[in-house]
Amino acid sequence: MRPLESDTSQDREVVYRERFDSYRRDFLKTLVTPEVIEEHKRSPFGQHSEPLERLLIYFRQQPLADKYAVKVVTPFKAYRLVAMSGHRGVAPRPVGDEVFPTAKEACHGVFLLHIQDLLES
Amino acid sequence: MGNVEIFGYTDKISVKAGDAIQFHVSTEGTEEVEAQLVRLIHGDEHPDGPGFIEEEVDCMANGTWAVAKQFTQVGTFLEVDDPENRLALEGSFTLWAFIRPGWPDSGKRQTILGRWDAATGDGYGLGINEDGRLEFWLGWDGEIDRLVADEKLHLQMWYLVAVSFDAVTKRATLYQEGVGNSYNSLLGEVAALPYASHPSGELRLSQQNLTQTPFLIAGARDRSEEHGDFVGALYWGKIDRCGVYGRALGREELDAIGAGEALPKDDVVAAWDTSLGYTDRGIGDLVVDTGPYGLDAKGYNRPVRGKTGWNWTGFTDCFRLAPEEFGGIEFHADQLVDCKWPAAMSLKLPKSLRSGVYAMRLRAGEGAGLREEHIVFFVRPAKPSARIAFVFPTATYLAFANEQMSFDDPQRQSVMGRFPIVSEIDIELYRRGEFGLSTYDKHADGVGVVYSSYRRPIPNMSPKYRTPSLDVPSGLAADLSITAWLEHHGYAYDILTDEDLHREGLDALAPYACVLSGTRPEYCSERMLDAVEDYIAEGGRYIYMGANGFVHSCGFRDDEPWALEIRRRDDGYKTWASAHGEQYMATDGMRGGPWMPLGRPPQKLVGIGLSGQGAGSSEFYRRMPDSYHRMSSWITKGVEGEIIGDTGLADGGAAGLALDHYEHTLGTPPHTKIIASSGGHTDVYAVNQQIVLYAYLGLYGSHDSRVRADMTYFTAPNHGAVFACGSIAFGQALPVDNFENNAGKVLANVLDAFVEPGRLPGWAWISEEKQWR
Repeated sequence: MRPLESDTSQDREVVYRERFDSYRRDFLKTLVTPEVIEEHKRSPFGQHSEPLERLLIYFRQQPLADKYAVKVVTPFKAYRLVAMSGHRGVAPRPVGDEVFPTAKEACHGVFLLHIQDLLES
Repeated sequence: MGNVEIFGYTDKISVKAGDAIQFHVSTEGTEEVEAQLVRLIHGDEHPDGPGFIEEEVDCMANGTWAVAKQFTQVGTFLEVDDPENRLALEGSFTLWAFIRPGWPDSGKRQTILGRWDAATGDGYGLGINEDGRLEFWLGWDGEIDRLVADEKLHLQMWYLVAVSFDAVTKRATLYQEGVGNSYNSLLGEVAALPYASHPSGELRLSQQNLTQTPFLIAGARDRSEEHGDFVGALYWGKIDRCGVYGRALGREELDAIGAGEALPKDDVVAAWDTSLGYTDRGIGDLVVDTGPYGLDAKGYNRPVRGKTGWNWTGFTDCFRLAPEEFGGIEFHADQLVDCKWPAAMSLKLPKSLRSGVYAMRLRAGEGAGLREEHIVFFVRPAKPSARIAFVFPTATYLAFANEQMSFDDPQRQSVMGRFPIVSEIDIELYRRGEFGLSTYDKHADGVGVVYSSYRRPIPNMSPKYRTPSLDVPSGLAADLSITAWLEHHGYAYDILTDEDLHREGLDALAPYACVLSGTRPEYCSERMLDAVEDYIAEGGRYIYMGANGFVHSCGFRDDEPWALEIRRRDDGYKTWASAHGEQYMATDGMRGGPWMPLGRPPQKLVGIGLSGQGAGSSEFYRRMPDSYHRMSSWITKGVEGEIIGDTGLADGGAAGLALDHYEHTLGTPPHTKIIASSGGHTDVYAVNQQIVLYAYLGLYGSHDSRVRADMTYFTAPNHGAVFACGSIAFGQALPVDNFENNAGKVLANVLDAFVEPGRLPGWAWISEEKQWR
């Protein structure tokens, strides 16, 4: 691995983390199938197949800045998606304008955002 | 109505009917609120339960209250008691301190020590400037002179820093030398960074000493139109011994101080020995001045005492063993122990007030979201009046008070195995950042929070609150599902809190035939554990209504019961860990972390202890053979089939969130019966780290039999007994189907038997032969 001109980080471990993450994403992309997406929609909180569990473990491990979450608008009635700031004192930003009728569906919405980001990375 | 917000707290968390209580309130966007005393019946708004239920109660304080926005002084510092203004230095002087900067590159000015008024620019100070460098400054009526070190201060490295100022020549000389050793700092001797800096220069000015300026350590006086006087320029990190001389010390003299030699004795104005005044049972907030004037300093918002000092050698790991090596005091600009708002209302509670959980409900406008506040408090009877007591685990509420893990802990989603659901209140709390943190959070410098308190608004101790990382109620809102079940079925009961257990010990529990715990009585002081153990051993009947109970130590000072201390160690679940040498509580000298390594695993007390935890989905219990044994078969009387608790408000089952198991190697009493056990937990549920020796693939719900909840029963001396249900989610299973379900049936069987005096059902069937139906 050759040095990158853009690499100015003080923490040299970052370079390895980025390489590891890149390899990991390449593999995880191969696990995204309509079946996996349907499995999460049906059961976001249950025992999952290995492909889905691997994807979820990766999504949950994302850094806090811009990490997706759900914001409750009205309990048990309306939910929206947000992204965390990762900076104390800074509120999450809204993501999209879709309103979900249940927390379960909103969590699936978060999952789809992660899938989209993964495939576009 | 626009941006209206209401926040409040009480001066006491537990009161008796007839006691006085004060309400402290701060508002935004309104100068009046409608107040109504309410008795809280049920909190969780889950549609499968009864929803939120409160009962309005007549009281003198009901009606319109005049309220205002209050200022909160956040951050720790020491204020020196100097009535004769000895520190209004007029001639030459030296300021010196051992420091270990915790966040030198915060980008904000930090004061180490000085007598500085930032609003007028008068006085003097030694600190860290916005660029992370040691700086001495002095000012006269807003005109300021500065001397800055050449080398930046490095994170978590010990230094001796000083400034010597000659009033005749106006020459100031900074002294900055590293005093790190192999143990006391982040980096060792192999990291040859430039630590030393000794710039010198002639200043134009001398300082003007205003009469009213306080001498502060770790902060400086400031003022604003909105807040009046406050303390700003707060310091992050540790300060050990420090002082003031009435002359300019030379470099050799300062070298000698840095070498640990005796301090020069002449011209001492103040010499704070931060390691004095320690006892085996704790350290107070007073920092002793050994100088001629006794200028002791008092901590504000509890600077953390007993931390490893500049001279820590690593040989001892506790301030009790070598206090002289534990003179470090740690300061955090975001720490809060007491908001100290003026009381908006004082109320003498009616003597006839029924024991229970109460709140002063404050509303503005339509009273939704942040425009409604429930200021919760707990009311005991003037005298015990029922045979049943429910103990609200307020120590655990405090440990979690205002936790922000869903926003700040990068591992939180992984630990809970789900995406968080945050509310408007969570976001506002995170945005404001002025109501302090929980003992699960870290300060902004990355150091774990050891103090929590109820003298501040605690939105996650309100009745409807849902924990974002779980999307289920925890703490108070979960425990109300148990007391609502007691209400629904007409049981007469009194309530107690952890504060009462800590204060009164066994005396608080002794009047009751049966005592029920909350869903998660995790944090216990030694006195609390002793109270429960003595109660059971002396014939009490105890129902452990949850899991993850009796796991972790905590400390309270008798004079400030509102503040709880936690230290976290390497041998427990944790979001941070105390550094080595800092794992004993300053409050009472007890070892921080879990009770298990001290020989008090939960199994030894109540039969079961933490086996695993997770979130997302809860499971049910299946009856075990012991439920058919004649000694214990009465517990499941009326339960049809093998399944118990297949519904619930917490993830759909009675076994979930945290699970406890029977483990005779950890002290489960040998004659304990397992009535039922859960199973089938997802792989989000991981085995309790405390019972794991290695991490390996397979320590999860579908792989490891320890990930289960055990419902157990054992008899104790003097007709005592313990029933333990084994799961946090059990309590939240009770309200389903209008409180008529088989989890509730089991609880009713136990409770009905436990309140009866004399022998328990099944008492005669103690032989192991022929007792199976």
